[in-house]
Amino acid sequence: MSSALQMAVIIAIAPLAQGVMKQLRARLQGRPGPSILQPYRDLRKLWWKEALVAEDTSPIVGIAPGVALGVALTFAAMVPPVFGASWFPSADAIALALVLALGRFIAVLAALDTRSGFSGMAASREMTFGALTEAPLLLALLSAALGGNSSLTHLHAGGSAASGLLAAGALMLVMLCETARVPVDNQETHYELTMIHEGLVLEYSGWQLAATQLAAYIRQASFFVLAAWLLPFGGWVVIAWCIGFLILMPIIETAYAKMRLFEVPQLFTAALVLGIAAITIQIMGIAKL
Amino acid sequence: MASRVITCAALCTISIFCALVVVFSPASHVAIEGFAPQLRIEFGFRVLAAPFLIIIALVAPAVGIWSLRRGGEIEARSLTLFVLLMVAVLLAQSVAAFALAWEAMSLASAFLVAVHHEHRNVRRAVFTYLLMSQLGALCIIAALVLLGVHAQSFRFNDIAASATSVPGGVRSIVIALAVIGFGSKAGLVPLHFWLPRAHPVAPASASALLSGVMLKIAIYGLVLVLFSLAAPVTAGWGIAIMAIGAITALAGGLYAAIDNDLKRLLAYSSIENVGIIVTAIGAAVATSSSPAIAALALLAALFHCLNHAIFKSLLFLGSGSVLQSAGTVDLNQLGGLSRTLPLTAAMMLIGSMAIVGLPPFNGFASEWLVFQSLVQALPAVSQAMQFAIFGSIAALGATGGLAAAAFVKAYAMTFLGGPHQSRARSKETFDPAVIALTLLAGLCVIVGAIPIAFVRLLQPAVSAALPGVVAGSGSDVMSLANHALATLPIKLGSLPCVGGAIMFGLGVVRGMRRVPTWTCGSEVTVRSQYSATAFSKPLRLIFAFVLFPDRQRRIDTGESAWIPTRIRYHVSARYVIDEAARWTAALLQQLARRGRIVQGGLLRVYLLYALAAVAVALVAAR
Repeated sequence: MSSALQMAVIIAIAPLAQGVMKQLRARLQGRPGPSILQPYRDLRKLWWKEALVAEDTSPIVGIAPGVALGVALTFAAMVPPVFGASWFPSADAIALALVLALGRFIAVLAALDTRSGFSGMAASREMTFGALTEAPLLLALLSAALGGNSSLTHLHAGGSAASGLLAAGALMLVMLCETARVPVDNQETHYELTMIHEGLVLEYSGWQLAATQLAAYIRQASFFVLAAWLLPFGGWVVIAWCIGFLILMPIIETAYAKMRLFEVPQLFTAALVLGIAAITIQIMGIAKL
Repeated sequence: MASRVITCAALCTISIFCALVVVFSPASHVAIEGFAPQLRIEFGFRVLAAPFLIIIALVAPAVGIWSLRRGGEIEARSLTLFVLLMVAVLLAQSVAAFALAWEAMSLASAFLVAVHHEHRNVRRAVFTYLLMSQLGALCIIAALVLLGVHAQSFRFNDIAASATSVPGGVRSIVIALAVIGFGSKAGLVPLHFWLPRAHPVAPASASALLSGVMLKIAIYGLVLVLFSLAAPVTAGWGIAIMAIGAITALAGGLYAAIDNDLKRLLAYSSIENVGIIVTAIGAAVATSSSPAIAALALLAALFHCLNHAIFKSLLFLGSGSVLQSAGTVDLNQLGGLSRTLPLTAAMMLIGSMAIVGLPPFNGFASEWLVFQSLVQALPAVSQAMQFAIFGSIAALGATGGLAAAAFVKAYAMTFLGGPHQSRARSKETFDPAVIALTLLAGLCVIVGAIPIAFVRLLQPAVSAALPGVVAGSGSDVMSLANHALATLPIKLGSLPCVGGAIMFGLGVVRGMRRVPTWTCGSEVTVRSQYSATAFSKPLRLIFAFVLFPDRQRRIDTGESAWIPTRIRYHVSARYVIDEAARWTAALLQQLARRGRIVQGGLLRVYLLYALAAVAVALVAAR
């Protein structure tokens, strides 16, 4: 039951989280920025608008937003609940990585089906970065699995604080890519030089766009909760860590410029190194903080 | 036509025969006593071979049905012999029988590769294949004979019975020979270079059997030696085999991601999947001191063998359908085939998703099990092994991502968007080829939905390989995996499927306005959409340190120097291992040329050689 409640909360406040981060980013940049409720309004507006679909495309284009939403909801259901027992204890790091891959696979097929050069560009980059983030993601989420338990519910109990911090760092770098944030991507612009996520959904409009955007918000919120479970203390403190991510993300986005596309792999190498460090600490039993 | 029907019927009969053998598990062996006990030919059923007989039983009929309408007459005729010989390898119970069946199988497969021998590259591929195949066979026979000499019997049962008393040095040599021999057949890096040449040039039905089934026969040989004939193998070998597997998986995934030939991409993906399987086998060897954990890893390896056989034959047969209707498998020329081949496109989508390991299909189940077996092994092993396991997990994770990139490209460039150059001739009908693809795609779905039923089929083989585990008895690790695996694919796949269905339904109900794709106001043309070469460019550049990509650009200009009339663009990568193989071959030829001096053509010299040989023999025998 608690998992269902948490899933409902994640779905409900996922757009709010996006609104808060956008507002905060605007403030940091000296702009008044949109209201924190703006994402809800955008979703409502989009939902009632008609959908324009590129000519001569296959049904995949119409199915993809639903798959994206389904994947995001599955992710939200897999995240261990802050209180109470999980209803999905068999959800583990490997399953999560493959579910996310499912969402990526279908989204990219749909983007390529539209024949747009921008979508193709975004598709190619999404798959490339997807391939590069897979290893750090698995290492970060499995750093607590030394006892043979890869379940996400075991994420907090399985590791020491030091390795958890390092793993959370690795996961954060992966998260920057998965949630289309600045050093990797930029949600605010539509320049072909920068866009990855925006390029993938370029051909979507109306209620189909609403679905893909909501899916992206839910995925982002789920990622925050998941990364928070790697950090110390656990329990209710997870919520505090989540709020911390809401503040940290806009700061990163303001403090850093967008990296050149072919420098982004360095970010993932850093994530991989952090993941390896976390695992080394676990295996050698160095820091029992 | 008649020969095609006969082939199909024969393949179905073989399939039924394999199924019956597995069901009744006959204990009696058929033996032909030769001149000497060493040449005893013995066939029979071994529980370890059951998973591989199941693979043949599932794949062979589909290939037969596909060949009813598609592919050439010549290969359709030779398929039966090839499949029959693969069954013979699985049923061989003595060294001579195994060697005979293995060599015959290799020859039969070489005939299939050589069907289009009028092309020079095909002849070269066949030659390389035969060469590697013979080198491999040499190692395999040497390994088996060494074991036979030690056991003083050439029956597999006797060899297995005396396996524990094999001295360490001999055991190491045997295992090294087996890994080289079977590994070269299975496509383990660095002995894989023949595979991406030979498998794609074969006709599609043959490629399906080569990649789908014959690679698994090589895996069977490896498992047979490691877990029965030369068991127990030390953990160090396990770690080494794991490392080879992980490197193979990574290399296969990377080369698949940058390849633009649909069939060669599939061949590289076979190498990748063999890497995954061998990683799991290595983990099973490394943990064989705690049989429950080793059993899980071996189970995962066998399960992935089964699944890979299903979706790889599906994908190869589908690529054959594509070749026959569009006239090419070059991803830079294909495109938009989902309009003319809607059913093939649907089945290929299932196959592509399954091979990437996406829920709820069968590839997910076995890939999850492989990872899970690695994680389960963590608490029971040494620190070095823990590092090795995490290394493998990272490598297999990256491999999965690369495979996704490869198959997104393969699928989208073939079936989605608009045609780059080629166009399918006519709309497909519901013919036998589609039925064959549907059967295999259906298996992908069914195995994904009820993985436990198929895992149970494989369990007897696992408990035969690792006598410490009793099938079905609730050893902790096995039951945990079974418990989670039973529902996981459905749980993970249901929401995306339902969501997709709802959105599709909404599209029908609410309607969607069709508008041209937005291309900044210019016309939508073939040139505006991404090509396969462009799609994999980031990966080529990021992995430039192993791929050494090179590009040639030629820009022709007309009246104005600023307006190009034609741009020619060609990219290539350097295949380091292939080049090393070429150097080795050149070196060997050089040596052979030098060695030719001993053949002077003078009778007296030859007599001298004979005399020297006799003298040496006499001294040695004294």
